[in-house]
Amino acid sequence: MSGLPILTLILLAPLLGALLIAFLPRHRHDLIRYVALGVALLAFVLSLALLASFDPAATGIGGFTFVESVPWIPAFGIEYTVGIDGISLVLVVLTTLLTWISILASFRPINERVKEYMISFLILEVGMLGVFMALDLFLFYVFWEIVLVPMYLIIGIWGGPNRIYATLKFVLYTLIGSLLMLVAILATAYAYQAATGSWDGAFDYLSLRGFGFDGTLQVAAFLAFFLAFAIKVPMWPFHTWLPDAHVEAPTAGSVILAGVLLKLGGYGFIRFALPLFPDAAQTFAPIIVVLSLVAIVYGAIVSIVQPDLKKLVAYSSGSHMGFVTLGLFVFQQQAMDGAVLQMVNHGLITGALFLCVGVIYERTHDRIIARMGGLAAKTPAYAAIFGFFMLASVGLPGLAGFVGEFLVFVGTFAVSPLAAAIAALVMVLGAVYLLWMFQRVAFGPMSDFLRNLGHHLSDLSRIEVMTLAPLATLTLIFGLFPGLLLDLIQGPVDSIIAGLAAGDAVALLPWR
Amino acid sequence: MEMTGLLALAPLITVIATAILVVVVDMIRPGDDRAAGAVGVVGLLAALIMVVGIGADANPVLGGTYIRDPLTTLLDAIFIGVALLTILIAPAYLRPRGLPLGEYTATLLFAISGAMVIAGAKDLLILFLGLELLVLPGYMLAGYAKRDGYSTEGAIKYFLLGSFSSAIFLFGLAFTWGFTGTTSIADVAAAVGSLSSISAGLAMGLALLTVGVAFKIAAVPFHYWTPDAYQGSPTPVTGYLSVGPKVAAFALILRLFVEALGPLQGDIVNVVIILSTLTMTLGNLVAITQDNIKRMLAYSSIAHTGYMMVGLAAYGAAPAGSPAAEQGLQGLLFYTVAYAFMNMGAFAVVTALQGRPGVTSQISSFAGLGRRAPLAGAVMTLFLLSLTGIPPTAGFFAKALVILAAVEAGGWASVLAVIAVLNAAIAAFYYLRVVVYMYMREAPVDAKPLTDSWPMRLGLVVAAVGTLVLGILPGILLPSTDAAAQVLLLVP
Repeated sequence: MSGLPILTLILLAPLLGALLIAFLPRHRHDLIRYVALGVALLAFVLSLALLASFDPAATGIGGFTFVESVPWIPAFGIEYTVGIDGISLVLVVLTTLLTWISILASFRPINERVKEYMISFLILEVGMLGVFMALDLFLFYVFWEIVLVPMYLIIGIWGGPNRIYATLKFVLYTLIGSLLMLVAILATAYAYQAATGSWDGAFDYLSLRGFGFDGTLQVAAFLAFFLAFAIKVPMWPFHTWLPDAHVEAPTAGSVILAGVLLKLGGYGFIRFALPLFPDAAQTFAPIIVVLSLVAIVYGAIVSIVQPDLKKLVAYSSGSHMGFVTLGLFVFQQQAMDGAVLQMVNHGLITGALFLCVGVIYERTHDRIIARMGGLAAKTPAYAAIFGFFMLASVGLPGLAGFVGEFLVFVGTFAVSPLAAAIAALVMVLGAVYLLWMFQRVAFGPMSDFLRNLGHHLSDLSRIEVMTLAPLATLTLIFGLFPGLLLDLIQGPVDSIIAGLAAGDAVALLPWR
Repeated sequence: MEMTGLLALAPLITVIATAILVVVVDMIRPGDDRAAGAVGVVGLLAALIMVVGIGADANPVLGGTYIRDPLTTLLDAIFIGVALLTILIAPAYLRPRGLPLGEYTATLLFAISGAMVIAGAKDLLILFLGLELLVLPGYMLAGYAKRDGYSTEGAIKYFLLGSFSSAIFLFGLAFTWGFTGTTSIADVAAAVGSLSSISAGLAMGLALLTVGVAFKIAAVPFHYWTPDAYQGSPTPVTGYLSVGPKVAAFALILRLFVEALGPLQGDIVNVVIILSTLTMTLGNLVAITQDNIKRMLAYSSIAHTGYMMVGLAAYGAAPAGSPAAEQGLQGLLFYTVAYAFMNMGAFAVVTALQGRPGVTSQISSFAGLGRRAPLAGAVMTLFLLSLTGIPPTAGFFAKALVILAAVEAGGWASVLAVIAVLNAAIAAFYYLRVVVYMYMREAPVDAKPLTDSWPMRLGLVVAAVGTLVLGILPGILLPSTDAAAQVLLLVP
């Protein structure tokens, strides 16, 4: 497609911003902060322009529009190819939105090595955006790995007391999965090269998508991709890095981790694992559905007993991400719609919940639920917005959290009522732990711990309102008008479902 | 001698002449480090320009014993580059310790000329000559800090095991000569190729050669000399030892096992796969437990030997002349270049850190480096990420290439590919531990500032730029590695 290379511009904005910050004087903290914010806002505005000019009806090249392609390593047919469809688009906008919110939310809490912090954040944004845009598997892998390093630094440098353990765990888990995926990417490329006799297109998503790899390779490659994405989502039992990472990460790190990084896994499934290896995906779908159900139930049950506010949100986040994988692997249109919506909504709501936890942590330097109490009286605005996102996370109809889970639920019911019943049970459990948590934190008499803080316990600051308000607005809008998102993602979801149509969805789960 | 012979030998002659010139300069102006270093750098630059300018020629010279083909060109360029970096980073370490740069430079240049002889050797005897010319100055360099007990101990161990392995290797060459009746690589290849089955004597020779070479590349279980030699040597020498002789030994493998004994690849591929697995896994596992940065990098360099052998295994496992075989060799060659940049870079940072006497080699001496010296911290992070194999760095693409070749070769080689990536994940643990120290721990109050000199800066910049450029635009090197790999497959 000719015209402005807008996707590259969106990628370049944070990259050049990071370079620019590298040359700013180290001690000018405010200058660095505002430059970083400005760059992130620029990327956000560009992505909004992309959204405005996106036409869901346009088919583009293989369903992708704004495609740009430049040869990168011609000897192996590796190209810099980026393009978007509706699914990528919503995730790109989610990323640019959460990035500037995270940077803004870091203004007060981060006072040490601000320069390195902002550079890390902007590089992280480049990696995340690249993953959502890449249409070349090699390029995708490069962006996938680029995400790792800044997040490693963000947790490891600006994290909590146990940050080094947490960040190494995060990196090692992710690396094991992704390196096996690298082997799988190379193996599929070689299979393509062996069949066609040329490296041209061997890493190109569009040519690999319809290729139809043979059974053994599909199974092996699917398992490698699955492991990489399952660790990222993270699915039970690959989730153990996540609570540690969340608890130790600085607030903004948690927001991005929950809001975008976990979505990389879900996106990987929907973009790569399902269309490239449809047969293997169907073979393993029942197991993955079971794992998703375990994740949903396990996350919810563990959340109930968490004494730490942030850990509670982290486990509940895992539970809600279970709906994404469940929705993807029942191979049913509504469920898959729901899964994509859930990715976006989970990003907004869980991101906001982590911001809320950050607000209280900023003031008390504590996150133990038992020490809180009676916040509603002292900080009414904070309690109100925290309660709003809490209800959204519970799945209150009318707010965004409801729509995705409901669609997954409906779609799953059509395939397997039993699975749907188990998933629905969790909506009840979710209400239990979230409402109970909120009750302990916000209502009742004010705890001695909070009272002793005196005037330190102030209500929301202007910056905090600025970070939470957009998320609250979107949570409301997407809750009331889910069609806004559905219109964008319907086409790609339909085509992915069509690619899987060979399998009979109902026969999928023998034990339904 | 005809003109082409002189031309083909010009870079080699230049390096040797420079070495002698450095000795002379050192005699005229004893103790003038600048003059000696400058002569060495200028001579090497001249040789590098010649290597690039002369280009390649398919005809051997000197009665068929030496050739300047694309493989020679590539390897010569690597060796000269490594020597340049080794000289640039050395003064920061040698000067505070009162060690003269002149002798150091001259010795290094003689060693490099040995490596260059190996690169272009077309005869088994020349090959051995090059090998000895390479390793003898190496022993001297390892023991360069005469008054340091560790340096002497490391040098003696290196010398004893090195000469032991050279003897084994020579014995193997003798067997090969005995059973093929020739020392010319082309004739050996022809003789071996016409064999219907491998005789016991030739098998014996093959085994001896394999063991001898395995010592030189420090493959497990022939690696025992490495940690002590690396730890004891002056740090810039360690950097050189971890790259120069290793790449030279791989050059030896390419000339000997691929070019001369290529038809026997099927007989040794299983050995290569097993050695590669052992080398990677043991190197990485032991590296995790090291607290001394030089020992850690020593074990890490053993692990990298294993990754490079993956390319060799892919060559051996693939059908002769297939694209996978070519890619295996190409991957190996690309890996050596990437490894030269990133490992020399890592050692350059260690050298800069140890510029003040008294700074130990403990990893804890890196504490707070990210804040004390932001640029050194940043480039060290880059080198460590590249050694781990994280994009967009040279180390990543190098790993991807050898793994791709192994996947293409199929069979046990593709299992080796999986083992290699799992090893990369293990390696991440100890490389990132250094990053943890640099960025996530506070510097001790008595931390000494880094030495800062322009040669050191230049060396760091060159290594960092190489690491980054080969990661972002690997395409610029691929034609050279491709041409060099083709040479090896064209053997009759």
